[in-house]
Amino acid sequence: MYRGKLWTRRVFTGLGTGMDTNERYRRLIEHGETGLYWFGDVPSFHGIDPDHPMAAGNAGVSGVSYCCLKDMYALFDGISLEDVSVSNNCPSMAAAPTYAIFAAYAEEQGYDLKKISGSVLNEPIHGVSSLYPTNCEPLDLTVKVATDVIEHSIKTTPRFHPLAPNAYDLAEFGANPVQEMAMTIAITREYIDRMLARGYDIDEFVSRTNIFGCSTDIHLFEEVAKYRAARKVWSKLIRERYGAKKPGSYRLYLSSHTLGSSLTKEQPVNNIVRVAVETLGCVLGGLQSVDPSGYGEGYFVLTEEEGLTNLNLQNILAYETGVAATADPLAGSYYVESLTSRMEEEMWKIIDKIEEMGGAIKATESGWIRQELEKGIIKKQKDIEEKKRIMVGLNDFVIPPEQEVPIKVGRDRPVEEQVATSKKREEEIKVFKEKRNKSKAKNGLEDLWDDAKKGEVCCLIPSMINALRADATFGEILGVIRTANGYSYDPYKMIDYPF
Amino acid sequence: MENSSRKVKIVVAMPGLDCHDRGIIYLSHVLREAGMEVVYLGRFNTPENIVNTAIEEDADVIALSYLNDHLYMIFFPRVVELLKERGASDICVMAGGRIIEEDRPKLKELGITGFFGQSTPTPVMVDHIVKRVKRERWKVN
Repeated sequence: MYRGKLWTRRVFTGLGTGMDTNERYRRLIEHGETGLYWFGDVPSFHGIDPDHPMAAGNAGVSGVSYCCLKDMYALFDGISLEDVSVSNNCPSMAAAPTYAIFAAYAEEQGYDLKKISGSVLNEPIHGVSSLYPTNCEPLDLTVKVATDVIEHSIKTTPRFHPLAPNAYDLAEFGANPVQEMAMTIAITREYIDRMLARGYDIDEFVSRTNIFGCSTDIHLFEEVAKYRAARKVWSKLIRERYGAKKPGSYRLYLSSHTLGSSLTKEQPVNNIVRVAVETLGCVLGGLQSVDPSGYGEGYFVLTEEEGLTNLNLQNILAYETGVAATADPLAGSYYVESLTSRMEEEMWKIIDKIEEMGGAIKATESGWIRQELEKGIIKKQKDIEEKKRIMVGLNDFVIPPEQEVPIKVGRDRPVEEQVATSKKREEEIKVFKEKRNKSKAKNGLEDLWDDAKKGEVCCLIPSMINALRADATFGEILGVIRTANGYSYDPYKMIDYPF
Repeated sequence: MENSSRKVKIVVAMPGLDCHDRGIIYLSHVLREAGMEVVYLGRFNTPENIVNTAIEEDADVIALSYLNDHLYMIFFPRVVELLKERGASDICVMAGGRIIEEDRPKLKELGITGFFGQSTPTPVMVDHIVKRVKRERWKVN
């Protein structure tokens, strides 16, 4: 455990252009960050380019704008990808070109792909029921493409985690801790089954699909028990139901962002305390990677000051408190052990129920997961209204705003600057598309189209990499895959294929 | 129609690409419980389609929600502007989500009210909606 290697200390990062984000990366690395968080802007989540009409004003807002290979040069300038792991959160089909663009850039830079580490939260099933439906659907196609990422990665970038299911969004969208982990395990099984159907042996790939991006709420013991229970469930599942033989296969790796919705807009200074307790929960839960929320998360995405505070919070826990001195320090506590056993039991019930329904895709398409989560949303807010969950400064111990302890929160950059950045970026991509070698881009996309017509047997990552090298963009790549499979080029049906 | 039994009709929508719809799911639930008729547009709307729906449905209120970033300062005024262009300024526009204090005066000037968030109790939201609709839309006390 931490005696051998501390958890990876990550900070949410993504703003403006690649150059803006790169500048912040460098400062965070100086302050002890050991893993970069590559957080895209909203258009990149949705897999649309900055010049798409729906993206207007959104480029580089609350994440970094990227959609073509040249963007990587600014983003990772001067950063050695063999020395730092990079984690990207992309909850839609755009995760596949995100992986492809990263691999293509690393290769162009001459890095040994076998040494590249990190992850992409490449999992669209959860997105349909929670936060990100655009380009998560049609599910059969997006799951196919996500599985292509796994297939390519286990052969080409073996230290990279190509799936990293996003449990966090389920929790943020109403799941309780048991549902969060159980649904995520059930969702992961869809990829396991798909890889098995493609003829891979469980031990060949499952140690690459065993890292979850979770949430950590403030209920300290419950969260620690949740992580302990999830490990037990995973291990049993992979060993007994899938017959894995390698110990690496039944190990579950866990990473977490602390739960943003546990923080308040009121008295934001209190959020430092909340995040400290939650981060402690991550450490006591034995997580492999942690990125705490910013104290201003009740306002907007992390500012640089919040990022540095987060890093120091982790540095204090790691080097001052001694909490990392032993593995699983709460083991043997009656309370934590009984909570763990109870949660384990409850997780199995959900996993078995989803299995009975025919798997997580069926449970998603029937609307069952969404219904369960919506019940959770209503319950969570009712609990706050009825004071069953106390949130200091929000529903109890409320004080007038003028009495609050002052702390700087708010926008990372002024609105005018963000508007200008987005405009600049929209223009830049328009010019880029106009000036690139169009026939090369067209050929790249057409080869991808041919491959996309071949169905399950053809992994699309190699042709995606080629298309990116030919200066095709994310929106075009996803559009071509969609049309080859009989869907509209643009998920919003607002633009047409340019060639 | 008997005013006391008249139902408030409210379009609930998020403009743009913001995905954080926990707020409107909860809002729609409690407004229905309070006897209002909710036309739920959900996420990923343009100001144009929000206004079109409100006019077609003869809604009393447009409830806009936004959390992720500053773009509500572009979308919300646009909704008000479109209502004006279409001669439908009597539809009340309200906002919620994460609308930070420094932005509120500008939105208030445009006639946008509410600014509901996680800490707003349901009765406060319902009361605000009903009072404003009665006063400005139904012209009753």
